[in-house]
Amino acid sequence: MERNCLNKNGCHFYGAAFVAAFLLVLISCSKSDPESPYKPAPYLIEIPFGFPTNLNIPSDNPMTVEGVELGRYLFYDGRLSGRTHPDSLMSCASCHRQERSFEAGIDHPDFEDGHPHGLSGQKTHHVMLPLVNLVWNHNGYGWNGFLYPGNPNDKLQNIEDFVRLAVVAKDEIDGDTSRVVNLLQSIPGYPELFRKAFGSENITFNNIERAIAQFIRTLISANSKFDKYMQGKVQLSQSELNGYVLFTTEEGADCFHCHGGFGNPLFTTNLFYNNGKDTVYTDPMDRYMVTKDPMDRGAFKATTLRNIEVQGPFMHDGRFKTIEEVIVFYSHHLKWSPEVDPLMHHVNKGGVQLLPFEKEDLLNFIRTLRDDEFLSNPAFGKPDKFPDEQ
Amino acid sequence: MKSPVSSVTRPDRYRDQVGFDKNYGFMKEFRIFTLLLIVTILGYSSCKTTKEETEDQYGKIRIHFEHRVDNQSLVTDQMIYENAAGNKYLVNEIQYFISDVTLYKNGNTHLLDAWDDIHYVDTDIESTRTFAIRDEIPLGHYDKISFTFGINEVKNQSLMFVNPPESLMFWPELLGGGYHYMKLNGKWLDTLDQISPFNFHLGIGQIYYSFPDSISSYVQNYFEVELVDSGFELQIGETLDVTMVMNVENWFKSPHIYDHNEWGGDIMQKQDAMRLGCENGWNVFTIEK
Ligand code: HEC
Ligand code: HEC
Repeated sequence: MERNCLNKNGCHFYGAAFVAAFLLVLISCSKSDPESPYKPAPYLIEIPFGFPTNLNIPSDNPMTVEGVELGRYLFYDGRLSGRTHPDSLMSCASCHRQERSFEAGIDHPDFEDGHPHGLSGQKTHHVMLPLVNLVWNHNGYGWNGFLYPGNPNDKLQNIEDFVRLAVVAKDEIDGDTSRVVNLLQSIPGYPELFRKAFGSENITFNNIERAIAQFIRTLISANSKFDKYMQGKVQLSQSELNGYVLFTTEEGADCFHCHGGFGNPLFTTNLFYNNGKDTVYTDPMDRYMVTKDPMDRGAFKATTLRNIEVQGPFMHDGRFKTIEEVIVFYSHHLKWSPEVDPLMHHVNKGGVQLLPFEKEDLLNFIRTLRDDEFLSNPAFGKPDKFPDEQ
Repeated sequence: MKSPVSSVTRPDRYRDQVGFDKNYGFMKEFRIFTLLLIVTILGYSSCKTTKEETEDQYGKIRIHFEHRVDNQSLVTDQMIYENAAGNKYLVNEIQYFISDVTLYKNGNTHLLDAWDDIHYVDTDIESTRTFAIRDEIPLGHYDKISFTFGINEVKNQSLMFVNPPESLMFWPELLGGGYHYMKLNGKWLDTLDQISPFNFHLGIGQIYYSFPDSISSYVQNYFEVELVDSGFELQIGETLDVTMVMNVENWFKSPHIYDHNEWGGDIMQKQDAMRLGCENGWNVFTIEK
């Protein structure tokens, strides 16, 4: 390839062109700066010990301090339903409660047995999923992962899209996007926050999606007792240690292949498995719906076990009320079907056959995954005042 | 010009927010300065007279991974195979690491890519099935290619892979730590005519004082594979495409007949079973050019 300079003048020319370009850059910088106070501060996510460094942040929605702040207001503001009557308010936080690791929890005052319903009274198809460490999920959101980066349907790709789905879904907020936009536009304080976050006081639904998604990406749980143990800061009790051994051995409880451990501190693979609960599959919204692979019938996401102690009911259909019941299930009640995942290799024995004291040890280990700092961190909680109350 | 905002995703680039904000003006100048520098360097290097292009003295190698059973491309999730022990079986997925790819020339060895060459292969992830080796390889005739199946004890350190899919291969600390060398997951028809899952997982093995509580020592289990008939000639500027085939049935064939009925569904805590698997590994891989 001819890369060298033909003559001296040619080179001077390049030099001159560069100086011009340099001046242009200078001018454009100094010109726009005083005019535009829109200068959001980057929100930096610190990678906790042992966590993945690859984050799922779409390039068209970079994290900013202002975006996250706005997202937190919107996440908690019942007027996200587009209505103002006290009985018609609903926000993400109506179902996703911080103290329940952003699930509804079995003790939710409005829902029977922790199974949520929307403003219309219609029950959601599945029970809740927590909102925790979602910025590390690249494989798919929802119990069956129907929302994933790279989806040919570009309206079903990421958390941004979940915001829209939750706002309009009959079984959730049952709202109307333009009504929501108009209402927020009329609430003092919000237009200014949108300008700070996105550069314009004109509220768009797209920017609502972006702000809430940014807030959800900050919901990081990485300070449980087990995290401190990983970093050598605390010791586990004998029972917790026994439970840890059970959790991470095939001859023990054999949970780690799907639910993580030391080398995978997310405590989920964010992958989908059939974990042997049934023999016939009638839920149309399983993994098969997404992949059309018949082996994916009855498969759902192996959810994270972080903070699982404060969640529930368990499994996509909420069939178990307590973790004790879940452990009994994995111990004795697995069911064989052609679709059961090969990693459930104890299936023909009915389960991993834990003895009573082992069940207790395993439960004590699972409890070390509770992160009280996360569950009470004010930055993730309800704001003291909404923008029009300042 | 709008100030670009970005989120920092790598731990080595942390900056606390306040500091970053305060330094904003400096950052901008710095960026402009860098731009100036880059353009200057570009301009300068384009002024240099042509030097002999050295790239052409080298070639490159790209390995493609294929998986076959009984000489046919692997078909997953169908109970159509029978191993040397007579077990009918199906394969659901295969995930493994190879490392330390080495070339042999006139009796000398040439290790490729030093520390970074641990490559992960996953039958479910298309992109992992190509391994473009970065090294520029001197031209000429090579006698042989070899590699390590798994990861040697110096390199096999816990938490060296924090991102999926590699991180999902972690091998529990208590069982020796590091990473699975392989997960070969499938099902076989057992003696009761039940379809039973097997997890043919290889990694660090344990020798127990008393099972399962007390471990006296560990066995590394990784092994070197010398590819038969793998000599090749590397030409000027060429990228040699090599196909590496895993012949799945050979994991269960020789020198040991591996019977799932004998070892059951899981073997991570059964060194005797893993040893058979590893010793059978010598002729599992073949090469095509
Ligand atoms: C009526 C209760 C309810 C409300 C209100 C609600 N959600 Fe949810 N959310 C759910 C349920 C149930 C699921 C599980 C959905 C499924 O996959 O079946 C879920 C799942 C999610 C997930 C996927 C989590 C994962 O791990 O894949 C996200 C993200 C989410 N919701 C965000 C929101 C946002 C943002 C809002 C507010 C705009 C919101 N939700 C409002 C009930 C609710
Ligand atoms: C083969 C993979 C696999 C293994 C092994 C496995 N799980 Fe699960 N687990 C799953 C899947 C998939 C789900 C969700 C299933 C559903 O909702 O239908 C799940 C759900 C759960 C839940 C409920 C989560 C929630 O949010 O409702 C708990 C608790 C749980 N598993 C604990 C364990 C324990 C303890 C072990 C070991 C004894 C274990 N799992 C072994 C795949 C697995």
